[in-house]
Amino acid sequence: MSTTAVPTRRPSPSPLPARLDGHPLAGFRSLFRFMLRRDRIRFFGWTLGLTLLLAYFANVLQVVFPTAEDLQAFAAFSANPAAALLMGPGFGSEAITLERFLVGTYGMYLIIGASLMNILTVTRHTRVEEQSGRAELVRANVVGRYAPLTAALAVAVLMDLVVAILMGGMLAGMGFDAGGSIVFGASVGAAGLAFAGIAATCVQLTEFSRTAAGIAGAVLGGGFLLRGLGDMSAAQGGGLDWISWLTPIGWSQQAAPYVHDRWWPLAISVACFVVCAGLGYALSARRDLAAGLVAARRGSAYAPSWLSSPFALAFRLQRASLVGWSLSLFAAGLAYGGFTQAMIDGFADAPPELLVLFGGEENLLTGYLGLMGLMFAMFTTVFAILAMQSLRSEEFDGRTEPVLATAVSRPAWLGSWTAVTALGVVWLLFAAGLGEAIGAAASTGEGELFNDVLLGHVAHAPAVWTTLAMAALLYAVTPRLVPLAWAVFGYAFLIGFFGPMLDVPDAVVQASPYEHIGEYPSEDLSVTAMLVLTAIAAGITAAALAGFRHRDLVTA
Amino acid sequence: MTNAKQGTAVPAIQISGLRKRYGSVTALDGLDLRVEQGEVHGFLGPNGAGKSTTIRILLGLLRADGGEARVLGADPWASAVGLHRRLAYVPGDVELWPNLTGGEAIDLLGRLRGGINRARRDELCDRFDLDPRKKGRTYSKGNRQKVALIAALASDVELLLLDEPTAGLDPLMEAVFQSCIREATAAGRTVLLSSHILAQVEVLADRISIIRKGSVVESGSLRELRHLTRTSVSVMTEHPADAITSLPGVHEAHHDGEQLTFDVDGEAMPVVMRELASLGVTGLTATPPTLEQLLLRHYGDELAAGVGNGNGNGSKAPAGVAR
Repeated sequence: MSTTAVPTRRPSPSPLPARLDGHPLAGFRSLFRFMLRRDRIRFFGWTLGLTLLLAYFANVLQVVFPTAEDLQAFAAFSANPAAALLMGPGFGSEAITLERFLVGTYGMYLIIGASLMNILTVTRHTRVEEQSGRAELVRANVVGRYAPLTAALAVAVLMDLVVAILMGGMLAGMGFDAGGSIVFGASVGAAGLAFAGIAATCVQLTEFSRTAAGIAGAVLGGGFLLRGLGDMSAAQGGGLDWISWLTPIGWSQQAAPYVHDRWWPLAISVACFVVCAGLGYALSARRDLAAGLVAARRGSAYAPSWLSSPFALAFRLQRASLVGWSLSLFAAGLAYGGFTQAMIDGFADAPPELLVLFGGEENLLTGYLGLMGLMFAMFTTVFAILAMQSLRSEEFDGRTEPVLATAVSRPAWLGSWTAVTALGVVWLLFAAGLGEAIGAAASTGEGELFNDVLLGHVAHAPAVWTTLAMAALLYAVTPRLVPLAWAVFGYAFLIGFFGPMLDVPDAVVQASPYEHIGEYPSEDLSVTAMLVLTAIAAGITAAALAGFRHRDLVTA
Repeated sequence: MTNAKQGTAVPAIQISGLRKRYGSVTALDGLDLRVEQGEVHGFLGPNGAGKSTTIRILLGLLRADGGEARVLGADPWASAVGLHRRLAYVPGDVELWPNLTGGEAIDLLGRLRGGINRARRDELCDRFDLDPRKKGRTYSKGNRQKVALIAALASDVELLLLDEPTAGLDPLMEAVFQSCIREATAAGRTVLLSSHILAQVEVLADRISIIRKGSVVESGSLRELRHLTRTSVSVMTEHPADAITSLPGVHEAHHDGEQLTFDVDGEAMPVVMRELASLGVTGLTATPPTLEQLLLRHYGDELAAGVGNGNGNGSKAPAGVAR
């Protein structure tokens, strides 16, 4: 690992700096310390945050399942395709223990969290710095070509080590098997490590930090979908289980903590880190500072005639993101829809207490498709929150100022942006639903499913709008707090997918905007809920438009 | 210049007692400013003096904590949109959309303001030597500034608010800029031109306001401001001129070969000239003070104390911590 590259400290002035002057790693030590200084809050926020989340899950499970018998009732759940899709391969479900259930159910989300932590850390210290021009200041000093990337990777590696040690130590401290605890901690850190390497390559490709993080995020998202297919296949004894082995999430899960305690799948993650980081170094040597590998093309000298309103500008600025999301969600819908028949076959022998979750054996088909609708509503919510964060970047980067210095009012600008996103939400739900509908109809041979599936997806729009409106309100009043919208997303996600298992009180469930419309076609659609949520979203948006008039614009 | 408009017309900009604080930092501290219609008004001060903050309040982008501002007779916070149809703005740091070309950005900003003169736009692209087909992210600072300038100058507006508009332009382009501003005033437009580049303001401005630490310390025509300062005089006389050196208002006199060189306060000039005339002047050069010297007199104490950080208020704007 690259932490070994840290030169040893010497107490007295040494000839070392002189020898390092022309070295591509010159300045590494100062940069590494500088990055840690910049990240002193972020670093512990991420590492402790992820560990505390694990501690929280562990405690919840101990409260919900005080005895082994309580747990046994849910054992079968871990071995069915739907659970496999959302949680992983469910190793050891035949002899379930609390710790097996813990890492089998929540492990993947900690793995995803650690992966995001690495993508954001590496991007933040490399491409973000280059794009802002700050890297130029740094590189003009005695700083080697490879020093910034190496220091960024060293920070990421250190974070992964800390996460692995904290998680492993905490689980062992709770009395779980020490060997398995360490394997689990290492599996979370290993996935993070792999994505540090992947991010190191991605940041070389494009001039834009957001695009770079987006590419790495797409690798993560694609990996989530792929291993979902592989794990679903494995859960019902299909032959596609090898697909899980194509992704870092899969490698970490195949370590099977507390069951097989395998270390060697984690070696693949480390190899992935080494190869991808090496590729990143090689690519970085082939490009100029601040440049991407793909040169910018020339465009039109005149704006198209439709580009003449704040709404048109908001659309133009979100267009690329909308295209990418449309294609991804359509493809994902097609993949999950195409799995419908295999899914039902896999449930043939499932125990009845499991089938209750899907509305009983009769409703298995619609239950699966309804759950997919909710899942794509959550994906679309991610799009909506990111869109509002983009609007915030527009302002912080100084591009909103010239727009608001023209005859565009503040409500018109925020309203246009929110409207484009809101329509984008409907469009993306339609794209995902269309894929899902085609896939489901094709795999089951029941053409009449098509309309129901499509409707079941698009119907979630008012719930997503509600979250979007909250993000817009945060932006309008205190733009720094827009990320708080992720709390709404996280809450809705936990309630939506784990609420039924954790037996949470009704009021807690009802607080999520996503629990009212109904998972059509397995549940009835509530038109009332759709209208009420739309009205709530409209009301919050109106408050946002009014509130935006009252604050100073953030100016550089 | 359309002086006909002056007198009865409301001032283009009228500010009194304007205050703005960012946390513990005072950006504007009772600023007064008056810009008549049809004039080019130089808004001069060092970085961090509050120029950009003032302009953003005039645009309704920031809200004043106290005092009053009127743009073309209207409150800029309450009537921002209506006013923006009648004015154009060039920010000090122009940021463009990375994926839009310069030409697209010019058209867009012009249209959002209410329309753009296509022929004038094309002509300005030519004159400023801008390639409008490049993507926003590939422009240098100077070229980004040209984009914003062209968008502003191609619009048919009454008032131009220009915040250090030529900071990134080369001398050739600055000449183009100057002729564009002259055309604008010939067409009856009012220009507020903020700068710390003195030569530019000197060339273009009818009147000047000097801002320091959030308030205007001097305001008037260049001539009026010069009145406050010292003229450098070199003189050769038939009779010894040593008596001059003891006159009130004469400073730093010294002999330079046959010449006597000294500085004169503006008020002391008539007395000194009368005295010189009686001594038989054979040669004389008088150099009016540059704006550099005007500024030096207001900031002289700080410059002496330590140049690099001479503007008290620190960096350009407190919101630099946006990220």
